[in-house]
Formats: sequence, C-alpha cells, structure tokens
Amino acid sequence: MEVSFALTGKDYVIIAADQNAARSIIKMKGDEDKIKALGSHLLMAYSGEPGDTIQFAEYVERNLRLQQMRNNHPLRPQAAASWVRRSIADSLRSRNSYSVNILLGGYDMAENTPKLYWMDYLGTQSDVPYAAHGYGSYFALSLLDREVQKRLVISFPSFRVKVVDAEGVREVDVDMSV
Amino acid sequence: MSIMEYNGGSVVAMVGKNCVAIASDLRLGNQALTIATNFEKVFPVTDRIMLGMAGLASDVLTLRDRFRLLVNMYTIKEEREIEPETFAHLVSSTLYEKRFGPYFIEPIIAGLSKGSNKPFIASTDVIGCINFAKGFVVCGTATDKLFGVAESLWEPDLEPEDLFETISQTLMNAVDRDAFSGWGVVVHVITPEKAFTRYLRARMD
Amino acid sequence: MPHQERRFNPYTENGGTILAIAGEDFTVIAGDTRQSEGYNIQTRYAPKVFRLTDKAVLAVNGFAADGNMFVQKVQQRLEWYAHAHNKPMPLKAIARLIQTMLYAKRFFPYYVYNILGGIEEDGSGAVYSFDPVGSYEREACRAAGAAQSLVQPFLDNQIYFKNQLPPPGGAHPRHLPLNDVLSLVIDSFTGATERHIEVGDGLEIYIVLAPNKSSVELERLPGVKRIQGTFDIAGDASPDVTAAAAAVGVTGEKMFVMRRELKKD
Repeated sequence: MEVSFALTGKDYVIIAADQNAARSIIKMKGDEDKIKALGSHLLMAYSGEPGDTIQFAEYVERNLRLQQMRNNHPLRPQAAASWVRRSIADSLRSRNSYSVNILLGGYDMAENTPKLYWMDYLGTQSDVPYAAHGYGSYFALSLLDREVQKRLVISFPSFRVKVVDAEGVREVDVDMSV
Repeated sequence: MSIMEYNGGSVVAMVGKNCVAIASDLRLGNQALTIATNFEKVFPVTDRIMLGMAGLASDVLTLRDRFRLLVNMYTIKEEREIEPETFAHLVSSTLYEKRFGPYFIEPIIAGLSKGSNKPFIASTDVIGCINFAKGFVVCGTATDKLFGVAESLWEPDLEPEDLFETISQTLMNAVDRDAFSGWGVVVHVITPEKAFTRYLRARMD
Repeated sequence: MPHQERRFNPYTENGGTILAIAGEDFTVIAGDTRQSEGYNIQTRYAPKVFRLTDKAVLAVNGFAADGNMFVQKVQQRLEWYAHAHNKPMPLKAIARLIQTMLYAKRFFPYYVYNILGGIEEDGSGAVYSFDPVGSYEREACRAAGAAQSLVQPFLDNQIYFKNQLPPPGGAHPRHLPLNDVLSLVIDSFTGATERHIEVGDGLEIYIVLAPNKSSVELERLPGVKRIQGTFDIAGDASPDVTAAAAAVGVTGEKMFVMRRELKKD
C-alpha cells in the first residue's frame, strides 16, 4: 500500500514518496523518509518488502559511496541505475532476494540532463520521463494532476518531496491541505 | 500468470536477398499496465549481427549485458569478429548453462556472415535449443499472430526495401491483435553495404 | 484421503478453422475439412460449412457434435418459417434467429463459434459472426476457430488495409473483387495449414452471388460446382416470371462450392 512518484522536467527530476510505515492494519510511523540521496546529484525512492527496502537502500548507498571514494568521482545516473538494476537482478536468483521497487532520479552533470529510471524487484529497468510505483502507478499518466489526491483510494496524509537539479539535491515542502 | 507474458513484447526476423531484417515492438508492461513505450528488444552484437529477445524484461537486460561481455571476450581472444552462426551457438550454450533454472527469454539472432554475406537467422527456446529457420523466425506474446501473417506475406529473395516493408507489415498487424505487444515498433535491416534502423508510427493502443 | 469427484465433461474441441469475407455483391464462406481431437485426426472430411437457404450459408466451428446439432436445429427452424410464410427467411432475420437460439442455451451453451454469410435483401454481401452465447455483429470479414489468431491479423491487413497507406490522392477500396477474395481465402488456409496442426486436409469454399452478378468467370475456375437452389430462375427469365418469383422471396442468388486440397501432414 505504498506509493512513489517521479517526473523529469527540463533541468530537474522531482521525486515524491509517501511517509507511512505500516504493518498490515497498524500504522507504525507517519514520518518515514523513503527517498535516499545517493550522492550530490542522485536520488532513490524505494518501496516494497519492509526490511528489504532499508537493507537494500543502505547497501546501494554505501556501495555507491565506495565507488566515489575509490575513483574520486561519482557514478553518473545511467551507470548507477545499471549497478542498482544488476544488484536486484542478481539477488532475484539467489536464495533470499530483495523485494524492492525503485525510482532512481539524477541529474547528469556531464550531459546536463535530468535522468529517471523505473525499476522493479525483478530487475526490470526503464528510462522514462515520469514514473510511479504502487497503486499510484495506475494514475501515472495523470501524475501531478490534482485528481490523484481525489481519486486515489488510499489517500496519504503527507508526502516527502525531493528535487535534484544542477544545484544538487534539496528537499521541498508541499502543502497537502490544498 | 505466465512469466513469459508478464512484461509482454514480440520479436521477428526475416531473411531477404543478401540481407536480413529484425524488428521488435516497444512496449514494456506489468501485465495489463503499460510502464514504458520505449523498450527496445533488439540489440547490436557486431556491425552485422543483431540479437532480439522477448520474455521477462529483467532477463532481456541481464542477457544483453552478458552477451556484450561474452562477445567482447571472444573478439579479444580470437582477434576477429564473431560469426552469426557461432554467436547462435554462444547464445544456445549460455542459455543451456541455466538448464534447470532458466532465463525466461526466447532469443532471435539475425546477421550476415563475414566472407560470403550469407544471411543468417535463428531462434532458440528458453533453454537454448536452436531453430535454424530458412525464411523467418518469431517469438514473444504475439507468436501465433506473427506466424500467421509472416507465413502469408513473406517470400524468398526480397530486396532490402521490400524486406523492410514485409517485416514491418508482419509485425504491425500481428501486434495490433495482441494486447501485450505494440505501442510502436523498431525495424533493423542489415545489408552488406550498410545497416539501417527505422522507428514506425503504428497504432498506439 | 480427500474424496475426489470425477465428473463427465460434456464438451471437447475438434479443431479446424472457418472464415468468411463479404464483397459488394457476393460473400465467400470457407472452412477446412479436418476434424480432430487432441493429436488424433478423426476424419479428413467433415464439412463445417452448410447451405441454409438459397442465399445463406452457415459455418460452424468448435465442438463438432454441438455444431452439427445446431445446424440441424437452425435448418429445421428455417423450414418451419418457409412453410409458414411461403418464402425463405431473410439473412438478417436468420442472424437474429441464431442469436436467440444460442442465448436460449446461455447456461449450457453450444460450444460453437458461428459465422453466417450470404446476400442481404438489398443485394449486398454480408457476414455475421457470433460467439457461443449469441453476441453477434455484421462485419466485412471474420476468421474463427483454431487458427483465428493466425488468420485474422492477415485479413486485417489485406481486407481492411490496416497499417497500409492509401494511394496518393485516393482511398482504399471498400470491397475487393471476387477473384482477389478467393486468392486471399486460399492463401489464408494454406498459411494456417503450414503452421497449425489442427488445420488441413481439405478446403471447402462456398460462394454466394447476388442476383445480378455474372457467374461466367467463377464457373471457369477449376473445382467450382454450382449448387442448385430450391427454386431456380434462369438468367434470361422474363420480367413476369422474375417478379412472380420475387413475390415469394426467390430473387435469383446463385450459390457455388469450390473445393481445394490442403496439406495432410
């Protein structure tokens, strides 16, 4: 019952994810951050099996950090996406696979273009202009349309929204009362 | 729910006179939900060989990368480009390696051999059993439709432009009757002189 | 041990494919003649296409026993109609009759896909296709049966000109000439025979011509046989005779059957 959205603009990517941490009918937490900054110009929204998500996100975070320290240079979004996808695909055929769905958004400083990758737990990857995971994906085409709030059956009280552009990563506040 | 139909998609390849063509649709879906409409399923292997794969999208990407590695290793070791027939056997053995836990894709190989420019096409099943067909090979969720149309439209010794028209019409009309394939198609034609790629405007539904 | 119930299954699939195409003033209805169950060929000649009236032909595909029974029941209803009204039932009325007969068995259906072809009262060629419970539609062409998925996209391309651009400044033809249609039917079945194991052996093509359409060209083709109508009016009949015949619904449609061999492997 999680949702995450992302879309690319002319020179930025914007990512939003709900903030609920729930076990079946019980809501544990309402301020969970499900979007990680994987570098100065890379964001990753993750959802899926609780436990797997955080474990995998931190695994990715530390490995990309290691790459950056070794090479004195961060991976570009395309390369990071390939690495993340491969990690998921390899784990899928292992004894314990990660059930994690990912939206990876970044700003490519070499090409000066925003990049967004949609990935699911099977290791499916797609380079897309806008994307969503969870039930929200059925509204993907009407993304940012205010109808999403009205029509979505599970209406979340709040969203955490982060932007990545040439200036880097930053968080934006959204007023959900509109 | 069949894994082979989870993401949807179809590929077809045809032989012409001193040329081959290979084409795929562009849809990537999660069952009935369309995720992307820019998902190509045909990849260059060398300047004169292309590999198409339909099935589980994750495995399509994994194998695309794996074959790039294997072909690069071959080129370095042998100090020459791989031949289409050799590549078909490379594909076959790579898939058979996973005989009891297979990759969920069916590949199609299309290419021209180096010396003679002889056109070559082949397909295999998920565990690498090769089908060396004469005229055309198909795979994916629109397999039966592709067989029906291709069987009636294809003829031997088509010139590159005629082959392009034949494979385009075959794929477009087949995927229009398949809910899991479509949203545009990409066609590659390889001739001894050049190779060209065209994206076609097709029904977008 | 959990009790396992064994239940009699009243249905089976007998393979084969049928196809019909409507022209401006003719209709072609075809079917292969192989009848199979699983990998076993029961017979190489079991007709699936039947003459109903002088201007209506019905093709049935699916469960052969249900198909044969259904055709008999339709023919019986048409005979009753002819006796009651002293004229054959018009095509569109037959189509509606078939719908009600199929829907009457909504909860124990005839496991059959029907395609009805013939000449409408206005002289136009018509094809009606049905699902097993009676949903129907008038169309220009339709394939059904085991090789429907092989044949229908080919027909979309060749009959409806799908994915083809019209000639500069022109439009696609709305109807194809009879010879082109016959070629497409034969190509469809040879193609389906090549790739589908349940299709083959023989091809039976019924051709129904509108009253004023010449049959000279058709009769010159090999393997074409005229099927005599109930009441026949010669082409040169006097206006009086023609008018009198028309009054009882005999309008002079001509019906032919064309047989072709298909591969038997």
